[in-house]
Amino acid sequence: MVLEGVWKSYPRWGASQRTLKALLLRRVPGRMTPSTRRWALRDISLRLEPGTITGLIGPNGAGKSTLLRLASGVGRADRGHIRLPPETASVLNLGHAFSPDLSGRENAYTAALMAGLPRRAATAALPLALDFAELEDFADAPLRTYSEGMKLRLAFGVIAQLAPQALLLDEVLAVGDLRFQHKCIAHIEALKADGTAILLASHGIQEVAERCDNAVWLQAGSVRATGPADGVVEQYREAMHSATLDRTPPQRGEPESLELRRNRFGSQALVIEDVSVMGSADSEVGVGGRLDVRFVLRPSAGLVRSPIIGLSVHRVADGLLCYDTSTQADGVVVGDVNGPLLVDLSFPCLDLLPGDYVLDIGAYEAQWEFAYDYHWHAYPLKVTGGAQDRGIFRPAHEWTLRGD
Amino acid sequence: MVRLRDLTLHLAKRELDATHRMTVLGWAWPLVRQLAQLAVLVFIFSKVLDLGIDNYPVFVFTGLIAWTWFAGGITSASSSLLAQRHLLFQARFPAVVLPVVALAVPLLDVLLALPLLLVLVAATEGLPWTVVLVPMLLAVQFVFMAGLAWIASAMSVFFRDVPNLVGLALMLLFYLTPIFYGLRNLPGRFRELLQINPLTTIVETYRALLLGDPLPGTGHLVAVCVLSVVVAVVGFAVFQRVQGRFVDQL
Repeated sequence: MVLEGVWKSYPRWGASQRTLKALLLRRVPGRMTPSTRRWALRDISLRLEPGTITGLIGPNGAGKSTLLRLASGVGRADRGHIRLPPETASVLNLGHAFSPDLSGRENAYTAALMAGLPRRAATAALPLALDFAELEDFADAPLRTYSEGMKLRLAFGVIAQLAPQALLLDEVLAVGDLRFQHKCIAHIEALKADGTAILLASHGIQEVAERCDNAVWLQAGSVRATGPADGVVEQYREAMHSATLDRTPPQRGEPESLELRRNRFGSQALVIEDVSVMGSADSEVGVGGRLDVRFVLRPSAGLVRSPIIGLSVHRVADGLLCYDTSTQADGVVVGDVNGPLLVDLSFPCLDLLPGDYVLDIGAYEAQWEFAYDYHWHAYPLKVTGGAQDRGIFRPAHEWTLRGD
Repeated sequence: MVRLRDLTLHLAKRELDATHRMTVLGWAWPLVRQLAQLAVLVFIFSKVLDLGIDNYPVFVFTGLIAWTWFAGGITSASSSLLAQRHLLFQARFPAVVLPVVALAVPLLDVLLALPLLLVLVAATEGLPWTVVLVPMLLAVQFVFMAGLAWIASAMSVFFRDVPNLVGLALMLLFYLTPIFYGLRNLPGRFRELLQINPLTTIVETYRALLLGDPLPGTGHLVAVCVLSVVVAVVGFAVFQRVQGRFVDQL
C-alpha cells in the first residue's frame, strides 16, 4: 500500500449551508476560499511493506483517523495518490454498520458481504467468525442487547475470516477485554507472517514500540517522524517530555521539597497535593506488608477532562524501575475532574524485597500528551525486613519437601 | 458485479426483515396498505363520482401497483444515503447499491399484489396472453427508477431539501398520472399534455398487457424505453462522479 503526497481538507460548513436556499442566496458561485477549509492532512507519504506492522501515533486530532479512512477508500483526497491492494480490510468504526434489531449472526453475515466476501464464502465464514468472537451462545440475540465489547468481538471475528493483503485498524482493540486483545494480536501476528501489510492507529505508544516494525508520528496533519518503531516512539516520548517542560511554570517563592523544574513538572492545571505514603510506619513497610498511597488532585483553573493518574516505584540503589502503573493501565476511569479528588492507591501486600525505594506520582493529559503535575522521585519508601533472598520482588511462596 | 448483486439483495432482505420482524401481520402489511387505498379509490370513483370505467377495481389496482412501487421506491431512495450514512463510512462500501436497495424493497409490494391482481383479472375478464410480458415492463420501470434514484439520492447529500422536493413532486405526479382515471376521461389537449409524462405510458402499458386495453403508440413505447436507459446512464454517471465527496458532506 502506498500513499503519495496526500492532502485532505474539510470545508468549514455552517449548519445552514447545505440547503437550496443557501445555494440560491450565494451570489458568487464557488465562493469557497482556502481560508474556509481546514487541512486535516498535509502532504502525507508512506509505504506499507508486506509482512510488516506500521503503527500510527500522534495526539488526538493529528489526522490518524482521517488517514485511515482515506486509506480504506472512504472519501477522496484533495491531492495525491493512494494505491491499495484490491483486498484491503479495515476495522474503523465499530459496529456502525450493524443493525440493532437484527441478530449477531445476521449482522456478521452482512459485515462479511460488505468486506467483500461472495455469498457462499460469507455463509461458510459465519460459524468461524462466531467461534472466533466466542459469541455462539448470543448469535441469535438482537444486536441491541450486545455490549460494546461483544460488538468489537463480532466485528473482529468477521475480519479474522479474511486473508487481506492490507489490514487497517483504528484504535478499536482498546474496547475489548485483555484476553480477547491477546487473541486479536496473535491473529494479527499470524497475518503479518503470511505477508499482510498492517497499519494500526494507537494511543498505546508502548504497544507500538513493542509490536510494530515501523511507526509514523502524525502531528497536526503532517508526518513529524517516520522509521523504525522504537526510534519514532522514543522521539515521541521526548517531545511529550519537552511539552511537559514547556508548560511547567517557573518556581516561585520559597523552595521546598518539591521544586518546579527540578523534581516537579507539568502544566499545574491539575496539582497533586497532600501526598501521604503509609505503610506500617510512615514511609516504611515490612516485606509483604500493606502500603497505602493517598493524595488529593485539585484542578487549579476549571475542569480537567479525564486525566490519567500514574505511580511508579524505583529502587534507589540502581534506579531500576520496579513497578509502574496507571489508571489507564488498570482500566480505571477517572472521569472529568472539576473539584478536589481524593485518590487512594493501596497495595494489600507489597511484595518488594527490603531496601530503599522512591515513588513518582503523576497526573497526565488524557492522551499522555503532557503532564499536569508530575512529582519525580519525590516520595521515599523503605521496605524493611530481614530477608536474605535476592532479586526485586518477593512473591508469596512456600517450600514443600517430601521424601519417600 | 456479483458482489454488488449479492450485497443489494442481502441489504434489501435485511431491511425487510428489520421492518417486519416486530409486527404481527409481518409480510402482509404492504398488501393491506395497498388494498385499503384501493378500497377508498374504488368507493369514491364508482359510488361517489362515477367515472364510467368498466371493471373499475381491476383498472385502479393495476395503476396503483405501478404507482405504489414508483412513489415508495423514489421516496425512500431519495433519502437512502442520508438515512444510511453509517454504511458510507464503511471501508470500500459501494454506495451505488443503496438507492437500488431502496427500490428493491417496495418491489416486494408489487410481487405480493400482482398475484392477487392476476386472480381478479382472471375471474372477471380472463387473462390475456400478454401477461407474460409484464416482467419486461417491470424491468423498464426499474431502469427508469434507478436513474432517478441515483440522481435524487446523490443530490440529497449536497442539498437536504431534495427529499422534500421529491415528496412534493410525487404528490403532484399522483394526480397527473392516469392512475384512478383513464386518459379517455380527459379532453384531447390535456390528454396530449399528460402523455409527456413517461409514467402515463408505463401505466397505460401495464393496463394493455394485463387487461387487454389498447397499447400506447409505438412512438411512446420507444420513447419511454430510450428515456429510461438515458436517465439510468446519466444517473449512474452523476452518482459515480460525485460519490467521492459524499462522506465529507454527511
